[in-house]
Amino acid sequence: MIKRALRRLAWALLVVWATTTVTFFINNVLPSDPARMVAGPQARPKDVERVRQQLGLDRPVLEQYARFMRRLVHFGPSTFDKKDPEHGSCANVWRVHIDLGKSYQQRRPVTTILGERLPRTVMLAIAAVLVQTLLGVITGLIAAVKRNTAVDTATVGASLVGISAPTFLIGLALQFVLAHRLRLLPLDGFGDTTAEHLVCIVLPALTLGIYGAAYYTRVVRDELIGAVKLDHVRTARAKGLPMWRVWIRHALRNALVPLVTLIGLDLGALVGGAIVTETLFRWPGLGALSVSALLDRDGPVIMGTVIVSSAAIVLANLVVDVSYAVLDPRVRR
Amino acid sequence: MRSIRRKTELLLLSSALLLFGCSEATAPPLPASGNASASRGGELHLASFADIKSLDPAVAADTLTGEIIELLFAGLVDFDDQGHVVPDLAERFERSDDGLVYRFFLREGLKFHDGSPITAKECARSIERALHPDTPSSFAQFYDHLDGFEEFNVKKTEDHIRGVVVEGERVLAIHLREADAAFLSIFAMQGVRPVCPSAGDKYDDTWQPCGAGPFKLDSWDRGRSARVVRFDGWREPGKPYLDAITYTYGMGLVTQRFKFEQGDLDIDRELLLADTFRYQSDTRWKPLGAYDIIPSIGGEEMNVEMPPFDNVEVRRAVAAAIDREQFRLVKTSALVTLERVLVPELGGDDPTFKKQKYDYAAALEHMKRAGFPYDPKTGAGGWPKPIVYPIYKQGLYESSAQVIQQQLAKIGLRLELKVVSYPTYLAMTKRRATVALSPAGWSQDFPDPSDFFDPIFASNQINDEDSNNGAFYSNPKLDDLLVRARRELDPAVRKKMYDEADTIVCDEAPWAMEYQYKYYGVHQPYVKGLRWSTVWPNFVRDVWLDKPRKVASRRPSVLGWMLGLLK
Repeated sequence: MIKRALRRLAWALLVVWATTTVTFFINNVLPSDPARMVAGPQARPKDVERVRQQLGLDRPVLEQYARFMRRLVHFGPSTFDKKDPEHGSCANVWRVHIDLGKSYQQRRPVTTILGERLPRTVMLAIAAVLVQTLLGVITGLIAAVKRNTAVDTATVGASLVGISAPTFLIGLALQFVLAHRLRLLPLDGFGDTTAEHLVCIVLPALTLGIYGAAYYTRVVRDELIGAVKLDHVRTARAKGLPMWRVWIRHALRNALVPLVTLIGLDLGALVGGAIVTETLFRWPGLGALSVSALLDRDGPVIMGTVIVSSAAIVLANLVVDVSYAVLDPRVRR
Repeated sequence: MRSIRRKTELLLLSSALLLFGCSEATAPPLPASGNASASRGGELHLASFADIKSLDPAVAADTLTGEIIELLFAGLVDFDDQGHVVPDLAERFERSDDGLVYRFFLREGLKFHDGSPITAKECARSIERALHPDTPSSFAQFYDHLDGFEEFNVKKTEDHIRGVVVEGERVLAIHLREADAAFLSIFAMQGVRPVCPSAGDKYDDTWQPCGAGPFKLDSWDRGRSARVVRFDGWREPGKPYLDAITYTYGMGLVTQRFKFEQGDLDIDRELLLADTFRYQSDTRWKPLGAYDIIPSIGGEEMNVEMPPFDNVEVRRAVAAAIDREQFRLVKTSALVTLERVLVPELGGDDPTFKKQKYDYAAALEHMKRAGFPYDPKTGAGGWPKPIVYPIYKQGLYESSAQVIQQQLAKIGLRLELKVVSYPTYLAMTKRRATVALSPAGWSQDFPDPSDFFDPIFASNQINDEDSNNGAFYSNPKLDDLLVRARRELDPAVRKKMYDEADTIVCDEAPWAMEYQYKYYGVHQPYVKGLRWSTVWPNFVRDVWLDKPRKVASRRPSVLGWMLGLLK
């Protein structure tokens, strides 16, 4: 078990490294000039050249890559001044430093920017997964219990709409009705206090949740319909257990196992940033950050968001694998 | 059958809900209290879909940041609404007869936001800090006429700029190595404005912005918002009127309109095209909207080193083939037709000037003279190969490219549209021998004709990479004229020189001019004192609020909204 986990961990690190390397080179071979993006479209060429030198972009790509990898994880002093030219852009745990450099555009350490943004995105991801799981399981259960009735058709139809509708459409509709017309919720933003955060997260979490729930509904419904045909469920019914108990205690528990994989993967993907939803609701997380970094060709921020996103997905996969091994003894063999 | 009918009914009901829900009427303007005289107090709320990157005037380069920098940092001189240079922290300034020395005399008793005195020495330090070789400034080259700039900024052989001289506690002299008629305009820009002593001699990422403007920074939550509050030590007694201004960043255009109509934003400057028309056609809102025109030019940039545009007749054909009035219809609410380089605000208002005009017959004739005759009846002839035309995802170019494609096809130039990202577009169009034809634009850096000629038409701006002269156009006669015009101190003589330069460009057509862009904004009736500057967009420094004590809430009940849908 431990050996398996360690092997998976090694693979995970390899995947993150490969993603990082590929992103670095793609970012550098694209026909665009980050120095021009910093200086502005109308800056005079000599100013652009000076900015390029200051950012170290005049050096060969391989040299830039070697420096990036050398600085990414290194050892340094456990305490240091933020103005220290050598370690000022580092984040550290005791003597282990992580250095993603400084944002070209914001001129701040990328680790600081990610440190501000990541918790907000994680918060949104957890809220969205809660919404989609809750909604998906309830509607899936209803559809399965009422299968082949109008309720089932309506639920499956609604889930089809949910899967087909892009998140921006769901988000705009929710924003229009709940925030603009009814004024029950704020139109967008993040808020300053915990209470405000909790109110502000409702719309983006609902947007992501409805989109995800549509898929979960179908999965839960199909799994439940399969599960009720199993011997132990039939036995439970034959024993005269109440139907709600048969569905929830015996059928649903089995049907939820595949959902664990989906939840894990969705959580990982959402931690990478829900780009459209974060932008629409001005939720200051990684999604909105990665969009602006891409548009500005802000290399260090792009690298930072890619590393966090890939690490989140890889970690989610790892957790799902391990949890499967815990849940299902057959996998351990 | 019943099931199908039920489904159809459900579908119709859903569609009706969507339609009724989304086709809402424009909300009425919120009332003003009707006071005639300006009063102090209140907080103005503004928003933008974009974000600001830095609040240090030494490095900030974008228009959006410029709006807030204008409030935080005052200069020795500034611009009036027509773009003329006027004293600001300086009570007066003078220029030597040969145009080589400018002297600025500071007002008495001026203070920075941190309470420290503003002296000529502090002003000199701020200039050298902004132009220091380690500062990632994107405008340092604008100041290359300063005596000693080259040694300080480029060669790094001197620690100070020779031409920046402190002549007394309140007198600062600027020496130029040669006369520059645009210098005052350049000096009035935001980059070299005085910054508090805490900024030091060199740029530092961690510095907390502090200047001498009418407002001081209260908070800046990066990626979200910035708030400035009134600086009570401002030089004009009783001003500014507002207690504070809050800017919210990264807000979508639809959300901005929702918030504006709810009264959570006081001015909406970023409108969707549909909303622009909606406000313009509503009699209640029409008096509350206005256009903001900051000089800019837009057109087609033709690479004179690449075929077929290495042939001047083909370029002339393009300039004559573009029906600018039809082009304007792409975005009537934002485009003003332009047929020459100089915009009216910078002296391009002579009705007798020979501009680039739409003349289809002449365009066909130019193609014939170029050796590529085109027969509109059969569609035969013209330039035989497709011409790659790069555009990036942006509202105007995506639409205008198709208009240009159709118009140039009528003279035998067949464009192949290529959609790329904005950074790629910039890199491609500024690289030698890469793009033959592309849409291009140039916005005013500082209000002077030289800013529209020197960077994009002078041959010394040609580079293999990063060429601002993306047409790679070189004309020694024009170069000489532009150098002399830049030095010429007599405005009348100078105007003639730029007219002559404009004639050359219009005739040789490295660009086919098309439009200049204007921005429509709308404000609530209680927002007073808005000014429309030709230099600073969204100029809110002198705004005051005539707001009733309590604006009635527009929050509807759920029941009310449902009933509204049924109406």
